[in-house]
Amino acid sequence: MPGKKDLYIESSGQVCVSCGACVGICPLNCIYLDEWRIGFDEEVCTRCGICVRACPVGAISIG
Amino acid sequence: MAISTDLKCDVLVVGAGPSGSMTAKWAAKNGADVIMIEKRQEIGSPVRCGEGISKSWLADVGITPSSRWINVEVEGARIYSPSEKVMEINEKHAGNEVGYVVERDAFDKALAIDAANAGTTIHLKTHALDVLRKDGRVTGVKAKQFGQKFEIHASVVVGADGFESQVGRWAGIPTNLQIRDMDSCLQYRMTNVDSDVRYCDFYLGKCAPGGYVWVFPKGDGLANVGIGVQVSKLHHPAEVRDYLDRWIAQHPGYAKGKKIDMVGGGVSISPPIKQSVADGVMLVGDAARMIDPLTGGGIANGCIAGKICGEVAARAAKSGRTSKADLMEYDRRWRAVLEEKLLRNWVAKEKLVSLPDETFDKIIDVLSGVRLEKLSVLNILKAVRERYPEVTQEFENLL
Ligand SMILES: Cc1cc2nc3c(=O)[nH]c(=O)nc-3n(C[C@H](O)[C@H](O)[C@H](O)COP(=O)(O)OP(=O)(O)OC[C@H]3O[C@@H](n4cnc5c(N)ncnc54)[C@H](O)[C@@H]3O)c2cc1C
Ligand code: SF4
Ligand code: SF4
Repeated sequence: MPGKKDLYIESSGQVCVSCGACVGICPLNCIYLDEWRIGFDEEVCTRCGICVRACPVGAISIG
Repeated sequence: MAISTDLKCDVLVVGAGPSGSMTAKWAAKNGADVIMIEKRQEIGSPVRCGEGISKSWLADVGITPSSRWINVEVEGARIYSPSEKVMEINEKHAGNEVGYVVERDAFDKALAIDAANAGTTIHLKTHALDVLRKDGRVTGVKAKQFGQKFEIHASVVVGADGFESQVGRWAGIPTNLQIRDMDSCLQYRMTNVDSDVRYCDFYLGKCAPGGYVWVFPKGDGLANVGIGVQVSKLHHPAEVRDYLDRWIAQHPGYAKGKKIDMVGGGVSISPPIKQSVADGVMLVGDAARMIDPLTGGGIANGCIAGKICGEVAARAAKSGRTSKADLMEYDRRWRAVLEEKLLRNWVAKEKLVSLPDETFDKIIDVLSGVRLEKLSVLNILKAVRERYPEVTQEFENLL
């Protein structure tokens, strides 16, 4: 992904509590949560960092 | 039994939280053939909630209080300023109805049972993936259950899919939130803490910028201890957890407690959304950003709107008139009941989040001296104006 930093969502449940806060705030609607698992669309995500701030437990990082 | 073919119904409700179950129940009661889908395997679990509700609205929407889901009946609320001056609001002494701390999982299940008994078909572990469209109108959803994809066709689709709502976005209804319009929340259920079963406690100020810390008692030394912080005031990863852990560490009555569960979540603190319906689709509850922006409570508003939503959806589906214009009846009716308070509390919240801690202290100081029998923004402001007119100057338009 040239020009884009890595976005990493810890999706094993070790940090993520499957709360959906990031899903509701992502301006591009590119994060998904099925019953437990969280994932996002590499292509659409602009690495704006909003989800990183919104996650209450720090499961998302960019860089 | 797994679903292997496409399904069809009058009203399809996506999400079996309180708003969805209320909608489904009232749609079924009004003669519609209703399907409700829920992506979780267990309705109401895991609980993502402080579990505090007021009582006054329950009868209006047909919910009968039950010991199955009432945990504690509280007498009032205590509001703590940054320097921990406390103001007590004891509505019981005034003969008013106060509130319950509920078992949210049991509450959600009870509402789903009501919906089922009214005739709703419920499919668990069934995830809506997108809406189906024909000539620009929503005609159902693509869904997935046990790895199997299928379609559910419906005259009306109701998005009751909570804070993380996708239905509105898929259908082109703007529900996006600004970071200032959301609180990021974290809560521990803790045992062995010094909470008082008579009160729901709220701590305001720098301990939780743009939000508050809450302690809702569950009896026997058990309590929900949680926090909401405005996302625009967050700058580092896991800052919400740090705020909550810090608050707990500073309060010996809670620092000695033990955590037995942890939940996160998002709460909208936005003004009411501009549009809640489109052709063939309606939004209700958190999906329609109906949370009270001052208190962060969303169960009551979701249920109140859910009843209206179900009635209108059933009538629309049965008559085949499901255009945006037809569904606007719902938009008008929920606004008539909820919008004024949502707006007023949003304005009040906007002011509150900008107040310095000293002002909070002054306000609570005044209020601790007066006996407030009804917690309303207006009552509070009037009491403060008497002692510190300069504090309420900014709020004059509310008074
Ligand atoms: C930490 C926290 C504390 C809170 N405390 C309180 C409180 O004390 N009092 C109060 O009144 N309110 C409180 N709230 C707000 C309250 O929880 C919500 O307002 C309430 O749950 C809204 O109900 P709902 O039915 O609209 O949405 P939800 O209860 O969120 O239900 C939505 C349902 O839809 C399902 N769903 C989502 N997407 C899909 C999909 N694609 N397919 C199928 N199913 C889907 C979800 O699994 C969920 O079951 C709190 C919120 C948080 C985060
Ligand atoms: S970085 Fe921005 S665009 Fe990417 S997932 Fe997070 S909120 Fe969405
Ligand atoms: S906000 Fe954080 S904890 Fe919540 S679902 Fe997203 S990544 Fe997981």
